[in-house]
Amino acid sequence: MKKFMPVEELARDERFNQITQADRMADGRNALIADSEKSRRSNRLTPARPDASEAARALMHGIFVGEIQALEGAGRTCWDFTTGEEAPFELKLDMARQAWDEARHVEISLKLSDWMGSEIGQYAENTVLFQAACSNDPVLRLAGVNRALEGLAIDVFTTMKEFGELAGDPYLEFCEDWMLADEVTHVKMGSDWLRKITENDPERRKKALEFQGVVDKMFSYGGSRSDSEESSFAIARRFRELAGFTEDENNHIADLGMQALNERKGQLREKQAAAAN
Amino acid sequence: MTLTVTPDTYNFVAFDTPYTARIAERMAAQLGLDDVDILIAVNENSSLTRIDIEVTGSLVTIAPHSGAMEDTRRPRQQSELNTTITMARGMLRVRDRLRGGFADAPADTELSLPQAAIWDTYIMGRIAHMDIEVNKQAWVYNFRNRHGFSDAVDVVFEKVWNLSNATWAELSALSANTLSITA
Repeated sequence: MKKFMPVEELARDERFNQITQADRMADGRNALIADSEKSRRSNRLTPARPDASEAARALMHGIFVGEIQALEGAGRTCWDFTTGEEAPFELKLDMARQAWDEARHVEISLKLSDWMGSEIGQYAENTVLFQAACSNDPVLRLAGVNRALEGLAIDVFTTMKEFGELAGDPYLEFCEDWMLADEVTHVKMGSDWLRKITENDPERRKKALEFQGVVDKMFSYGGSRSDSEESSFAIARRFRELAGFTEDENNHIADLGMQALNERKGQLREKQAAAAN
Repeated sequence: MTLTVTPDTYNFVAFDTPYTARIAERMAAQLGLDDVDILIAVNENSSLTRIDIEVTGSLVTIAPHSGAMEDTRRPRQQSELNTTITMARGMLRVRDRLRGGFADAPADTELSLPQAAIWDTYIMGRIAHMDIEVNKQAWVYNFRNRHGFSDAVDVVFEKVWNLSNATWAELSALSANTLSITA
């Protein structure tokens, strides 16, 4: 079986249509500025948004494909590295356990998608999550997948759990709460292994944390996640702390989110101004 | 009757104006709106799925945001089904306001979220009964989000989904009663 599979080779059936982060960022239309300034004060994904049902459905599909990619990422980590020499057996065991969790999350997300009224492949699949799982250093992969990707999952699941709670949707709230608990464990695995493997290699740790910063900014999806009300979801600081993120790390992710938001707003203004001329 | 679609060309999406006009004309004829002047003003700057409506004198303006006509599997590409549904949604709302016992309905911007949801349910039910492909569960979910998650709410949804000739007074009373059951 092939090792280090590139993102272009992810196996999907004809129901799926994949796009890249570059495709997404090339979209010059506005879902941020005009709406938040003119007709609603917040872009946060809550039931109070007029488009709440549609937005929640789209996010649920994003979670569903994200879970597939997380499963693929954790599974690849078990396979891509030589046991003992490149990755300890216990690390691979943790990744195998994570793959099991992610497979369950795929099933749960699928059932929630049915419940909310969407179909498999109804929305384009952004493959950015798996891209973070393609590093050839297991430490960078842990930083990218377990700390950045799964950290994003904590933020998204917290948003969806609160959405279910506010809307009075018992299934959404319950399922997201259970998946959230798993994600906290996955992030903690990443934090623990990162510390352990790089204990005597500060340079490698620095490189891994820098990579995590790059992935964290990428996963802010042009400002979809930040402390600003203009972002769809917030940084779930409490759950992140439980997963091993320090306050400084959370603040850093918040800063990256704000940077991404401001950069995206600038890009959109430029594109819309160019189109108006 | 005239039907105009704007803009002629697009910067951000790959939509086709003559194609949109053909769908809109067919829908206007099917819904008996071929005796009014209609402007379809597509807002390509926004990716939201909203449809703004304005009725001024003899001119009806339907302004869908581009997300409402988009193929969600292929961002920025036009979907025939979503364009058809969006035209039907906009025109049925206009027809209700012009002819269907909705004279006392608040302006769209003044509707509460449950009121908007029950009216959308009434509209989408009629579209489904026109044999246009609609994901009913998505509208069940929207109705539940606005009125509560219970069997009693689902019964009201079914009733509204199958209505063909309701008035605003009936819909708003149903919505208020449903909310009082779940409160």
